Amino acid sequence: MFSEVSAQKEGSSLLCRPDSEDQGPVFERMSQAYSPWSERYSVGERSFSRQYAHIYAARLMQMRPTLSERAQKKWGPDVIIKKLCDLEPGEQCCIVGTLFKRMELQPSILKEISEEHNLLPQPPRAKYISEADELILEDELQRIKLEGKVDRNKCVTGSVIAIYGAEKNDGKFTVEDFCTADLPLQRERPALSSDRFVLLASGLGLGSSHADSMLGLQLLVDMVTGQLGDMGEQSGAAAISRVLLAGNLLSQNTQDKDASTKAKYLTKKTQAGSVEAIRLLDELLLQLVASLPVDVMPGQYDPTNYTLPQQPLHRCMFPLSSVYPTLQLASNPYEASIDGVRFLGTSGQNVCDIQRYSSMDNHLEILEETLRLRHLAPTAPDTLGCYPFYQKDPFILEECPHVYFSGNAPAFGSKLIEGPDGQQVLLVTIPEFCSTQTACLVNLRTLQCEPVCFSAFTAQEDEESEMNVSH
Amino acid sequence: MDPKRRNGGNFLGGQSQAKRSKAAGEWDDSPSQFEEELLQFDEAEMESEEFESQTGHDVIPVGDLFSANDNPRWPRPPAPSLDPSSDTLVFQQIDLDYYLDRSVSGMPGQSQGKVPIIRMFGVTDNGNSVCCHIHGFAPYFYVTAPNGFKSDYLGEFQRELNSAVLKDMRSNKDNISVTVLAVDITRKESMYGYHGQRVSDFLRITMAMPRLIAPAKRLLEQGFKFGPFPIQNYQSYEANIDFEIRFMVDCDVVGCCWIELPKGKYQLREEKSTGNQDSQATAKLSLCQYEVDVGWTDLISHPAEGDWQRIAPLRVLSFDIECAGRKGIFPEADKDPVIQIASMVQRQGEMEPFIRTVFTLQSCASIVGSQILCFTQEKKLLQSWAEFLRTVDPDVITGYNIQNFDFPYLLNRADTLKVNLFPYLGRIRNMKSVLRDSSFQSKQMGRRENKTINMEGRVQFDLLQVLLRDYKLRSYTLNAVSFHFLQEQKEDVQHSIITDLQNGNEQTRRRLAVYCLKDAYLPLRLLQKLMCVINYMEMARVTGVPLTYLLSRGQQIKVVSQLLRQAMKQNLVMPVVKPEGGEDYTGATVIEPEKGYYSVPIATLDFSSLYPSIMMAHNLCYTTLLQKGSVEKLGLSSEDFIKTPTGDQFVKSSVRKGLLPEILENLLSARKRAKGELKKETDPFKKQVLDGRQLALKISANSVYGFTGAQVGKLPCLEISQSVTGFGRQMIEQTKQLVESKYTLSNGFQADAKVIYGDTDSVMVKLGVSTVKEAMEIGREAAEWVSSHFTPPIKLEFEKVYYPYLLINKKRYAGLYFSSCADTHEKMDCKGIETVRRDNCPLVANLINTCLQKILIDRDPQGAVEHAKEVISDLLCNRIDISQLVITKELTRSAQEYAGKQAHVELAERMRKRDAGSAPNLGDRVPYVIIKATKGVAAYMKSEDPIYVLENNIPIDTQYYLEQQLSKPLMRIFEPILGESKAESILLKGDHTRCKTVLTSKIGGLMAFAQKRSTCIGCKAVLKTDAAVCDFCKKKESELYQKEIFHLNALEERFSRLWTQCQRCQGSLHEDVLCTSRDCPIFYMRKKVQKDLDDQSKLVSRFGW
Repeated sequence: MFSEVSAQKEGSSLLCRPDSEDQGPVFERMSQAYSPWSERYSVGERSFSRQYAHIYAARLMQMRPTLSERAQKKWGPDVIIKKLCDLEPGEQCCIVGTLFKRMELQPSILKEISEEHNLLPQPPRAKYISEADELILEDELQRIKLEGKVDRNKCVTGSVIAIYGAEKNDGKFTVEDFCTADLPLQRERPALSSDRFVLLASGLGLGSSHADSMLGLQLLVDMVTGQLGDMGEQSGAAAISRVLLAGNLLSQNTQDKDASTKAKYLTKKTQAGSVEAIRLLDELLLQLVASLPVDVMPGQYDPTNYTLPQQPLHRCMFPLSSVYPTLQLASNPYEASIDGVRFLGTSGQNVCDIQRYSSMDNHLEILEETLRLRHLAPTAPDTLGCYPFYQKDPFILEECPHVYFSGNAPAFGSKLIEGPDGQQVLLVTIPEFCSTQTACLVNLRTLQCEPVCFSAFTAQEDEESEMNVSH
Repeated sequence: MDPKRRNGGNFLGGQSQAKRSKAAGEWDDSPSQFEEELLQFDEAEMESEEFESQTGHDVIPVGDLFSANDNPRWPRPPAPSLDPSSDTLVFQQIDLDYYLDRSVSGMPGQSQGKVPIIRMFGVTDNGNSVCCHIHGFAPYFYVTAPNGFKSDYLGEFQRELNSAVLKDMRSNKDNISVTVLAVDITRKESMYGYHGQRVSDFLRITMAMPRLIAPAKRLLEQGFKFGPFPIQNYQSYEANIDFEIRFMVDCDVVGCCWIELPKGKYQLREEKSTGNQDSQATAKLSLCQYEVDVGWTDLISHPAEGDWQRIAPLRVLSFDIECAGRKGIFPEADKDPVIQIASMVQRQGEMEPFIRTVFTLQSCASIVGSQILCFTQEKKLLQSWAEFLRTVDPDVITGYNIQNFDFPYLLNRADTLKVNLFPYLGRIRNMKSVLRDSSFQSKQMGRRENKTINMEGRVQFDLLQVLLRDYKLRSYTLNAVSFHFLQEQKEDVQHSIITDLQNGNEQTRRRLAVYCLKDAYLPLRLLQKLMCVINYMEMARVTGVPLTYLLSRGQQIKVVSQLLRQAMKQNLVMPVVKPEGGEDYTGATVIEPEKGYYSVPIATLDFSSLYPSIMMAHNLCYTTLLQKGSVEKLGLSSEDFIKTPTGDQFVKSSVRKGLLPEILENLLSARKRAKGELKKETDPFKKQVLDGRQLALKISANSVYGFTGAQVGKLPCLEISQSVTGFGRQMIEQTKQLVESKYTLSNGFQADAKVIYGDTDSVMVKLGVSTVKEAMEIGREAAEWVSSHFTPPIKLEFEKVYYPYLLINKKRYAGLYFSSCADTHEKMDCKGIETVRRDNCPLVANLINTCLQKILIDRDPQGAVEHAKEVISDLLCNRIDISQLVITKELTRSAQEYAGKQAHVELAERMRKRDAGSAPNLGDRVPYVIIKATKGVAAYMKSEDPIYVLENNIPIDTQYYLEQQLSKPLMRIFEPILGESKAESILLKGDHTRCKTVLTSKIGGLMAFAQKRSTCIGCKAVLKTDAAVCDFCKKKESELYQKEIFHLNALEERFSRLWTQCQRCQGSLHEDVLCTSRDCPIFYMRKKVQKDLDDQSKLVSRFGW
């Protein structure tokens, strides 16, 4: 998109001699209206004395009216909506409940700690689904096994859905059809006069043992800060009004899980593996925040808490960059309105978890599925760590975002989908930068998204990417 | 919606048909009205029952025992009509007893007065129940005939004995006039000792009733005079045999065998018609579908071979009850109601129970797949359940601890509530089930106090009793057991919560019902997994005793049964000996172990079935024993007998073959056959049967030796047992010499072989070869060569190679086990090493196990040392999960009754003072940990409730765990590796013991006065504010923060994994986890992580996060 601009200005490419006198044009950075919407993801006073039942109860209670409405829309206003305890065998009816998938292969902490039996460690798997899985629907009081027209492999524990069918004599419910809550209502998006961009990147993976990605990363910083390219490109870069880093700023290598299990006399003097990487990150951020606002979300491997919602990284780790007001340490999930465009997304844990526990592989597909379920992270708390919320489930989508993203995907993907009530949502899976050297740009005016590859030495050149700096 | 209505069809209890139809009409409209009505019916019925109980329950009309309104699934399949003249009746008998009654016309035997009648219960191939009365069999015993006795004296002998026995009776309730039915002369020989195969005259005395045998025997032994003979003591034979066993031996009936009643040989009993009182004698007495009479000589018993090995579709009922106890008190039957009874019924051989019901007090929401019957009155609940039981008519009743808890509770409760028709749980309709106390002692199990309940025709198969008999476990709670065998945790609900759930609404009661159902289901699954029914049945068949004996009696009866069967064939009789405590004889000795860690293959040579084969090889038996002076008396040449290492003499089999060797040969050849068939068999169910069979055969063969050595047994014979062990010792020594003499360098082998250890029946040889394959080859060859030096069937077998091998001491060793394949080990074999000892905390077993794994499997002794050091460090730093430190003991008596002070008793007392509600009761297992206390405090005062410890941050006495629990076992396994002096200095001293975490308790001592000040997370300097770090450490804040946040991160992950696991285990997402199973490894962990997490959150929040 920038190259169009640069093409117009013939002869001002980098190959020209610099205009010695002229300082060159100054491109004004586009500023934007920004308001964070993430109070719902901040947990004030944390207490772990509660259990996880409440979050399921809250989820079901909050979603039931919506699903009942959907059910009536789908199967007619006369459809009988029942609770499981009132179920009569053979009667055609609709039930709203939480799905539970019983999975044999699911890793169990119970088995891991039962050294008594000397069980071999459960082999790590990419997927935990198997033929023996059972799908169960549960409401506040009871549960029932499901069979029939419901894709066992695709469903995941924790999704609240409405099913239609009848209980058979053997105590199983034969599903004939089911529906999800689908997209919530959407606020109208203000029309923008000019192209403005938000750069999305994730998985910087600082502190990894191989530092190949560092060049790409520096290119990204230079590009964004306008140090790179010719004037055309610089003017294009000026249209980038915000950078959003969606988690896993640090590499998995910085996590030494051993530290917590190893004997204390061995670890007393050691420091956390992330210290160096954080220092690097601070320096990197310093370059960025000096020129534009940056939102930093924590991810799975970053030094913050484990359970969702992950709280913002602590300022004390960024003595250099935190001086700038442009550094926004955000929570994961992230929700904000940028120039009236509603952004919602996570660093990708929710999507990866669903990938492990369902047959779905494509992150984009999973992302869409969660939108249709009207829930950011259905598998939390079952297989995805989650704070034991008491009276609310903050992961239920109450308003439809315009841009819905997840970080740390294996590849870039984007798709514009339309909801039943005319909602338009741009789905983006932000690729992991350290392995793909790719970030993406979202045009706030058109809701279009394009990948930007900073790969210095890729073997296969990506034709699609017009902003391939290695050209 | 009202759940009662849904289950209304089955709601009604045991009322007569007329009352019910009236009630059912009104039911749907107004349940409350019906409840009132129910009450009225109930009272009316109670009156009539009281009347009945006064007149005696001699014959209870069938209608009273059943409600006709039952589930079609409940009753057995309808029984096709049977014509005794043209149909043959074939059934598998499962229980057998006898009773006294008037004889039935047309049946053989004594016709006057009451006669003993054998009663057999069984099931046909179709699953129809059978009760078979067997007539004409009378009890008898033998005495030696006096010298010069002639058949002319028989009459007089009989008369005299008869009157003596009559005179001896204190009361004659049954009006017996004839006690001695017959006296015959038979030619028999005593089993004890070899007398040159001379048969002599024995008197066979047939008595009218089994209980008359004992007085008759006593009178004859004490001195009996008749006719021309002077007063004389008669030695009695086979007078101490149970009547049932007597019958089974004589009829060749074994436990659980198939019985055939040929057509025309039996009579069928009909349901008594109410009008006809005359036909009472042959009316049906049982609840079985077929009830027949047969003469004892007319029944055909099929030996359990071929097709007759099959098992009838037995009905197995498993149940569990819940009672609403009061806070702090274990439920008492006279006060606390039974609120739920869950039952599952499964046909033997099927995978799933086909009946799943819960009887509940008060309404209960429906449970998918189960039938719920709700009652407003406890009386009705109990009565209906009894009816359910009688309708389902199970052959086997199982459950967990039903024998000592559920059944006694139900019976006592029914008694308190005067549910008069409840205690008829057997198959005989006028037999009331009553509770008795019994104690049972055996060498194998020690002394046990039990309760017994008679339940004619049904086998009570309490899973707890089975496990206590057959398995050595750390804990015997249903939870621990199901985790051990099924790797499944079960939700454990505390007594106090049960009452709360019951007093809640129909949903909370439903939750309880699900829990109760699970408790009924688990015993069934365990029974199936452990193949208990099949194995016990096979054992009954092999040893020839009734199934019920196997759970209620010791090992001896099994040998007696076999001995009698064998003796009968050889015309031998078994003497009655008075038990007397003899001196002990030397047991098996072992070759002194050469302790150490062997990193070369160690071949193990075993004598297969050592003791049985010695007995067979040397013909050791009662019948071949030569008593002192017999050699001369009988003029035997030295060719005819042998002298054992202990100096006892036995004749060779060329002179006479012994009974015991013959029994053993049968058992072992049967085992060989079963093993052969097992290999060929493809059907998994039949495979199970065969495997159970070969195991039963092996156990039986080994118990024969024990029988001869049992000092207080039926027929102890020290000469046999000491000779057996004598031979055993000799053979082990000889094997050692043989192996060490042949496998030497000078004979061309790689190295001199060395026997490093010899146990009862095996020797471990270091052959000096370096590979398992070579060790196997030489081992095999050596076994064969050494075997050739022994009398067959004694056989030395090469069984396994240990590589590497850690020999700690006598009977204590560990090694990797190779037997079939030289490339991969099959398992890690540990003998005598702290693994299941219950007075240790789990930490010991786990640590030892892991260390052994590292030493043996990973061949990394250094790694094992490191691991041990880390665990010790973790222990000192308070990082060991508390469940690993919990020691558990059962509270069997109250504090006053214990002689010495004991840790768990003291703790129970203290807990009662704290909160009577949650304190352990008698019979509960008390888990405790040892906490730090000031010097000089007695050990028993240092016990504390683990939960209390967690909640109050009480420091653990890590030194106690290190010194009292860990050090000895650790030293034991590391001394052979590191050397004695080094092991201690490396493991118990050093860097890793210097880093300690000292907790500050929240309670006790000076804590109330102490003020807690924040310290800098970096340098521990005391801070004025509650900030995270001091000014000096401020520049390191980021680093410090990262360390702490990672710790929080790890804790959160643990928290979410633990609590979601509990949700999965309890089977509900929307309900809080209530489980308080202390046997679950997660229980303390999840509590601790909650606490750690709150603490860590607080710490991190000081950073202003």
